[in-house]
Amino acid sequence: MAVTRCTKMAYENADDMIFGSSQHPVSYGFGLKVGAGYVIPEVNYAPRPGTEKDPEKLRKEYVDYISKDILNRCVTAGFPNVQLETEWVSQMNQEKLCAPVVAGQKAICEKFHEEYGLNCAVRQTIPDQREADEGLRPEVDKSEHAYAHKFFECAEFACENGADVFSVESVGGKEFADYAVTNGDIVAFLFGVGYLGAIDMTYIWEQCVDICKKHKTIPGGDTNCSGANVAMFMAGGYLDNDVQRTFSAVTRCISAARTLAACEAGAVGPDKDCGYEGPIVKAITGKPTAQEGKNCQCAHCDLQGNLIAQCCDLWSNESVEYHPEFGGTSVQCWAGSLGYEASLMNTAIQLGQEKTLRDLYMYSDRFRGPEAYVLAYDHAYMIGQAIAENGNDLYMRAKAAGLCGAKILKQGYDSKELALTNKQLEVLNDIIKKLEELPDDTDKFVEYCTKEFQESVPRYNPKNYGL
Amino acid sequence: MLSCEGADFSKVLKRYDVDMQVEVTPEEMAKKLLPTDPVFHKVAEEVMYMRFKTVGPTVMQALKERDPLDIINNGLVAGMEVVAKLYAEHVYYLPEIMMAAKTMEIGIALAEKQVPGGLTPKATVVMHAAEGDPHDIGKNIAAVMMRASGYNVIDMGRDVPIVDAVAKVEEVKPLFISGTALMTTTMTAFPAEAKILQEKGYNTPVMGCGGAVNREFANSYDLGIYSEKAPQTPLIAQKLLDGYDWKKIRDEWDNIVNGE
Repeated sequence: MAVTRCTKMAYENADDMIFGSSQHPVSYGFGLKVGAGYVIPEVNYAPRPGTEKDPEKLRKEYVDYISKDILNRCVTAGFPNVQLETEWVSQMNQEKLCAPVVAGQKAICEKFHEEYGLNCAVRQTIPDQREADEGLRPEVDKSEHAYAHKFFECAEFACENGADVFSVESVGGKEFADYAVTNGDIVAFLFGVGYLGAIDMTYIWEQCVDICKKHKTIPGGDTNCSGANVAMFMAGGYLDNDVQRTFSAVTRCISAARTLAACEAGAVGPDKDCGYEGPIVKAITGKPTAQEGKNCQCAHCDLQGNLIAQCCDLWSNESVEYHPEFGGTSVQCWAGSLGYEASLMNTAIQLGQEKTLRDLYMYSDRFRGPEAYVLAYDHAYMIGQAIAENGNDLYMRAKAAGLCGAKILKQGYDSKELALTNKQLEVLNDIIKKLEELPDDTDKFVEYCTKEFQESVPRYNPKNYGL
Repeated sequence: MLSCEGADFSKVLKRYDVDMQVEVTPEEMAKKLLPTDPVFHKVAEEVMYMRFKTVGPTVMQALKERDPLDIINNGLVAGMEVVAKLYAEHVYYLPEIMMAAKTMEIGIALAEKQVPGGLTPKATVVMHAAEGDPHDIGKNIAAVMMRASGYNVIDMGRDVPIVDAVAKVEEVKPLFISGTALMTTTMTAFPAEAKILQEKGYNTPVMGCGGAVNREFANSYDLGIYSEKAPQTPLIAQKLLDGYDWKKIRDEWDNIVNGE
């Protein structure tokens, strides 16, 4: 699959971005059309511990319990559309464990579609278990695990057994992201996630798109869960004191330049729910995005629970372990929570009030913290522009995204619109200084980083990125 | 876009982080906390200000004037204790902890060479991320905090097979073995390890940690103890050194972690 870098914005202005609508809707599964004028709930789940030990137990857990429970609840509550997402547990890198689950979920979706007319589909998200020190590419990975080989095997297993839409949470650049987040080093994050991560994502998605095409599966998209989400979760809420939220906000902007690479290699969306950078990517590509926020409290609490719904096409709960609750099983409860929120958004669309609701969502969190502030759709659009203007240069576009986000925060603070703690401001000023000092030449930047992080990121192997 | 002019967002949200921020500077706190002895003061300052490029020469100079063990305890470790206090007061954050610990380790490595017989750690602990689990950032942070607290940490890395974890316990007989897991289907490694260890006659606590693990799960298997956050791990380790077994750790867990 040829790679086409994005150098223009899909949307002419930020105000055109709205939940439920994308410029390039995608049809798949049993009657779903994503981004075509309505929001679809996407339910994600984890099997109970122990079920992974036996193929039949695991199939039963995913198909007969989890999938059936969700589909039943959607019919019970009158939801017209639903998407399931199976994020494979690590043991599913074996065909005997994953194939029956994928095929079984496809079959039960077909049954509910035929029986009740429920529009539904399943996203299969394969595990990326590759390790930087063992090799991210098959030709580099000679380890016993052979995770780089297994990665593409898993893509085949998912698609040939009936995945409607394919995704992954890829880990390219993670060796730098872990160091960067724990040590507050924005340059390491830029190099690892913005530059190396984009190279890796391009590499894997070119091949994944080919595999998807072969089996008529929709190549959905990726996320920087392993980098920007780690920063966001560690920055946490108002009682946490690990990572500064100005730092995590800038990592989010940089991560958009990486997540975009999957689209450029042929992913058509919807991208992954945990990619909070989705509004930025949607602004550039016009492809549908999955998002998660207030209805994913089963998984985590973030500071943009309402805002992040502003231009979603799928609305997700991130993940919940399957277990009983008073209101049914956990997946039923969260399917209900998501389904009603999607209903509200779809009602707004039907009554012509979608922009009003979008703005209510957005304002509710706009000033709650730095990450919400940069992801507000008007700011997300500006960051998208910074990326597109430098679209052909993986390093410069990631740097531009980070600087643009940092300056949006600084301007918000200076205008007294966004409050920051002294420490958040200190870190923000330091980020701007460090990013502005970097060279504009990619080779010089790579040379600098290779030397600078030689000791602190010993797992870095340039061969993993074809360098 | 709707206009928000005139809207009172204090009715919408409260920025507790801004309202409650600590105004005191590290310098102000340092005045009260750093050692008064001028040599130790200078060494401790290097750690507190994370000067990993100059801590070496400072320690070498101090070694001409003071006993190496005293430099470690009253200079380097004292500096790290100041950092821990600044962290607890929300003046310092995780990056400062990581860099200060790195600075302290550089200094200890130099001073230790002049301690007859080398430095004796408080105890040895084994840390790993569960089999099948590549997520180890929490383990890495906890390992830094344990090293900074004077423990010898054997870090087995990520995706460690159950048999390897058990074999390491048999080999080094640690104070405890900790495991982290971010997935519900990998955390089952911890009860499996505990079961094998018990069958082999070991009473070594198996600490369950990580995003997928909760206290209920870690307490569901014999030998299991729980650490929710990295700063809790040295507190629990100290109690094990004091003679607590895994059952007593469970019973007194709330008091041990004391809001950390």
